[in-house]
Amino acid sequence: MRRRNIIAAVALIVFSLIYGALTTQLPVRSLPNTPGPPFFPWVNTAILLALSIGLLVQGLRGTNSGDNDSQPPAAATAPQRRLAAWALGAFVVYLIALPGLGFLLATTPFFAALMVLFGERRWLWVVIGSVATTTILYILFRHGFSVFLPRGILPDLIDGIFT
Amino acid sequence: MNPDVLLGLTQSTGLMVLLTTGIGVLIGLIVGMIPGLTISTGIIVVLPVTFVLPADISIALLLGLYVGGMTGGSFSAVLLNIPGTPSASATAMDGYPMAVRGEAGRALGIAITASFIGGMVSFLFLLFVAPLLANVALEFRTEDMFAVVFFGLTIICSFAAKSLIKGLLSAAIGLAIVTIGQDPVMGTQRFTFGQVNLMAGVHFLTAMIGLFAIPQLVSNLTDGGGAARRIQTRLTSVFPKLADLKTMRLPVLIGSLTGAFLGILPGAGGPIAAFISYDYARKASKQPETFGKGAVEGVAAPESANNAVTGGALIPMMTLGIPGDPVTAILIGALIVHGLAPGPLMFLERADFAYGLIFSFLWANIFNFIIALAALRVLVKVLATPRALLMPTVAVLCVIGSYALRNNFFDVYVMLFFGFIGLTMRWLDMPVVPLLLALVLGSQLEENLRVALTSSRGDISIFFTSPISLGFLTLSLLSILWSLRTARRNRRVTTRPNKETQS
Repeated sequence: MRRRNIIAAVALIVFSLIYGALTTQLPVRSLPNTPGPPFFPWVNTAILLALSIGLLVQGLRGTNSGDNDSQPPAAATAPQRRLAAWALGAFVVYLIALPGLGFLLATTPFFAALMVLFGERRWLWVVIGSVATTTILYILFRHGFSVFLPRGILPDLIDGIFT
Repeated sequence: MNPDVLLGLTQSTGLMVLLTTGIGVLIGLIVGMIPGLTISTGIIVVLPVTFVLPADISIALLLGLYVGGMTGGSFSAVLLNIPGTPSASATAMDGYPMAVRGEAGRALGIAITASFIGGMVSFLFLLFVAPLLANVALEFRTEDMFAVVFFGLTIICSFAAKSLIKGLLSAAIGLAIVTIGQDPVMGTQRFTFGQVNLMAGVHFLTAMIGLFAIPQLVSNLTDGGGAARRIQTRLTSVFPKLADLKTMRLPVLIGSLTGAFLGILPGAGGPIAAFISYDYARKASKQPETFGKGAVEGVAAPESANNAVTGGALIPMMTLGIPGDPVTAILIGALIVHGLAPGPLMFLERADFAYGLIFSFLWANIFNFIIALAALRVLVKVLATPRALLMPTVAVLCVIGSYALRNNFFDVYVMLFFGFIGLTMRWLDMPVVPLLLALVLGSQLEENLRVALTSSRGDISIFFTSPISLGFLTLSLLSILWSLRTARRNRRVTTRPNKETQS
């Protein structure tokens, strides 16, 4: 955890400095002796920087920061980490594909992929589960609750039934 | 009777409002009992629906879910020895031993009844205390409101028991995110980088979905599936016997009062109330040695306490606009989406809605009692729902939820971004709740601070000359000191056995 604290502290110091640099570019529009738009970001920059340095000092000294002696969150095994990485990768690809492909075409394979990652090995269940759940959610939200989920490149098959 | 109270009662008894309250309770019971899903996740799942429903119906749904979720958590605590929600942790200590000796039905019946009584006591607290507090809060000026919001932010300390510095850093990151978009006083654009989508700032519901749901999805993949064996027992009669009702009287009273009171205090949520009341009930018991071995009082006290917290937590939310726990923070977001800002003005401008909300909370508790008792045998079958179907559904609902907020893909990407922030913070063992609270309260904090300083021409003594402001700032300081003391004591307890082992 000590190493992680140092990494976090350094990253946050960099973030604070960038945040502070961006704050200098904010327009100063206020009456004399009254706080303008950059006031709160300046206060926050100072707090962020002070706390980040505090975390760095604690990390470097190895003093008791309250969690140096505690265990980091339960470590996952390598296969579990791989599963998580695949799931996150699938999430990113899904969100990139969603606006273009549309909800039904993008969500079905994403849903199926997650089902497999969560341990479902019966392919028929995967196909039925992903197609059925995606279709139900699409109909429920697009036609039940008027959330305009993107139709994408799919022909007007389902929507035609409901309009 | 106050006409607003009658109007609120009438609104809360509309067919659709009652129906959605019942549906909310049912979803809450299901979500609460499934280990790996929290009440917050349940609310995330139904959020997209609430955007399109009228405000009273949406809030009824969310309140039902909140109340149901608290009770649902006890089902898996009793049957699996895995609390469905953190608030049910104390229930498992005696509920599970009861299930092991074949009394699962009895334990669940006691839990449901205690939850009901706790909820009703907190409803009375809410009905009588909230309007009074709102009246007092109407007199608050900007410097007082700054101090109140600052006090609300000291909740952070109680969520940062392991490391105060990390909790504060988490909040500071949240405050930095809040500064994106128009500044709350002059409307100047800040940190938008010319991006039109950022002009309205980052919606905290989008951030919240990412912060909570994505790490939970990943943890469900990495914790090995949380394989748990359900106690093979038939649920016999779930209605508590007269003897049990007699035994529960004192612990339920202790739990209900403790829970309702602690609920009002920002940060002291269900788990704390449950453990404190468990401890009090053990001290008050004639047979304290039976605690931990399946004592009726050991189930009744924490269950009444965690449900009593719900009504208590609604008091600061409704009267001051300060969330008592993460769930009420989400409720504030849901209200804001409908153009309703919780705070003292709610009881002045929309008293009918405020009382409607209070009575919806009453119906939620009544429905919770009826549905939980009547459908218990069916409900526990949900524990067998495969994660392979459940978790992908949650993932897709997160996407729909963040998209539905403004029908905009940008929010979906923001949600994913916050998901990665949540994962990083988890890796660093940094609490995410302070960040969420900062997102909820940050804008109010800045606005009140700047307006107060503008009115005093930059003189900070304004915060110390107003008795209300001074009072809340003193309370904030005490809250921080108390958290530091508790953290130091906990650290001493954890390091002592290590040293003893080493020697």
